[in-house]
Amino acid sequence: MPQTIAEKLFSRHNLAGTQVAAGDILEARIDGAMVHYHANEPMHDLALQAGFKDGLPRVWDRDRVFVLLDHHQPTLSQKQADENALVRREVDRLGIRCFHDSEPGIAHQMMADYGLMRPGELVVGNDSHTISYGAVNCGGIGITRADMLYVLLFGELWFQVPQSIKIVLNGRQPNYPIAKDIVLYLAGKYGDDFAGNMSIEYAGSLVPQLSVDSRMCLSAHGVEIGAKLAMFPFDETTERFIASRTQAPYEPVIADPGAVYEKEIALDVDQMPFVVAKPHQFGNVSPVAEVAGSPIQQAIIGSCANGRFEDIEIAARVLKGRKVARGVRFILSPASQQVYLQCVKAGLVESLLESGAQVVTPGCGVCQPKVGFLSDGESCITSTTRNFKGRKGSMKADIYLAGPLTVAAAALAGKIVDPREVFDAR
Amino acid sequence: MHANLQTAVRGRVWKFGDSIETDAINPYYRYPTMEELKLHTMEAYRPEFPKEVKPGDILVAGRNFGCGSSRPGLVLREVGIVAIIAESVARLFLRNSIARAIPIFMAPGITGIVEDGQLLEVDYPNRIVRSPASGASVELRAFPPLIEEIFAAGGLPEYAFQRYTREVRGS
Ligand code: SF4
Repeated sequence: MPQTIAEKLFSRHNLAGTQVAAGDILEARIDGAMVHYHANEPMHDLALQAGFKDGLPRVWDRDRVFVLLDHHQPTLSQKQADENALVRREVDRLGIRCFHDSEPGIAHQMMADYGLMRPGELVVGNDSHTISYGAVNCGGIGITRADMLYVLLFGELWFQVPQSIKIVLNGRQPNYPIAKDIVLYLAGKYGDDFAGNMSIEYAGSLVPQLSVDSRMCLSAHGVEIGAKLAMFPFDETTERFIASRTQAPYEPVIADPGAVYEKEIALDVDQMPFVVAKPHQFGNVSPVAEVAGSPIQQAIIGSCANGRFEDIEIAARVLKGRKVARGVRFILSPASQQVYLQCVKAGLVESLLESGAQVVTPGCGVCQPKVGFLSDGESCITSTTRNFKGRKGSMKADIYLAGPLTVAAAALAGKIVDPREVFDAR
Repeated sequence: MHANLQTAVRGRVWKFGDSIETDAINPYYRYPTMEELKLHTMEAYRPEFPKEVKPGDILVAGRNFGCGSSRPGLVLREVGIVAIIAESVARLFLRNSIARAIPIFMAPGITGIVEDGQLLEVDYPNRIVRSPASGASVELRAFPPLIEEIFAAGGLPEYAFQRYTREVRGS
């Protein structure tokens, strides 16, 4: 039987050693476990609840568990500080070797920065956006904290092999990032669960032109359209990216010709308008033109979807020599220290500060009600992942999701605009 | 109360729409403790829910229930919800509910057979959900044996504890 990427990935990791197909339930061998800020739960709190008197008795492999304090670094409350202290103690006790403690940033970006996920591997994380590792052909799957406890003990976990959906992207990459517009556009057109429980395989003539940054945006947002995996094919771009980060061996996972897809959808990106998701759901999408003129008081670029170099670079390009509109708080948060450093070295931070933007510590804060709260009646346009009611504080505030170019254009104009009005996109 | 797949339940229905997200179910950013969460769960959609929900109630929802983050819906069990039945459930919410032994079912057609406030019977042993008012029903699919074992153990952490204890004792 010809296999999809998901079928091959799970067959390769099946403990029973047999080939599996979509729909099968299996127990799989795990290559890596990303445990982020709530590490105290699987390692301690849940372990106690389960009956382990002194917390988790072991981890299955000290070199395959990656603990990152991301969301809680730097700490924003006493509670976070106390949880972090507990995590440090547990990491020490369990002998976990890979621990990013005092480094702020989003765990998923740090996993990429340090080459901790590789093509063909099955890597789980107790965060929904673990799916972003598919950008480098790695089977990244978000699991729950209770699942993580099981993984930490045994290095195994149950899965159901998903059906697969092929998303064919054709067209030309313009000189600004469009990954966010692509996924929002698809969510608007097909609904915010059109890839529900499925494994996405990206294909088409656009794919070789996409940077890893753009691929990570598309893969990360797999979860906003319901997917379990969001895989890119392995190519030269992947190879270069991995080679600059790790020398560890790996074996990419490639679909067989003739593999069976549940659905196939195609998009010609050259025909796609700039879009935004209106409050309060990801799939509530319309072309920018329909909401143009809506005033905004806050604009944000950041998150595991769009806090990467190319997202910040486009903002700097839009604002170059100009000022953020009066009355707008434009907040940018690089996804990790490495990304931040890259932006600083490229002169982006200097230029953004001159334009009146705020550049804040890497991390998840801007994506959550932690950094940059909204008050009743305020509106925010953001490149982060979610626009649910209350996601930025007030239940009476409006959040629009958009690509970094549209966000930067709005920050400049003080209202939502078609980016072409303020930026020469050629 | 400890959820149990193998007992039929009958309760009053709270009915919700599509794509109800974890930020609404579990708004822990604003309400970090379980006690606070219980006072605010689902209020983004129905402000009266946390005030009026009673132990034994059943939650019915449309497509994509529990989309969003990997946060669990334990608070729903804490306020007394004994079963969740939706047209479809987001995968992490499903995983979470299984891992914490919260009875959750995907039953296409469910929103068509029951109205808010009516009674509903959820009978997993007989693989059926029934509306006593109209007599209409939809079928429940059987979980694979592994999942039933996880439920029987009281959740995945408990299942892990049993396996670990067995293996350590056996070696
Ligand atoms: S940036 Fe937002 S969506 Fe991404 S991992 Fe952090 S909190 Fe989650």
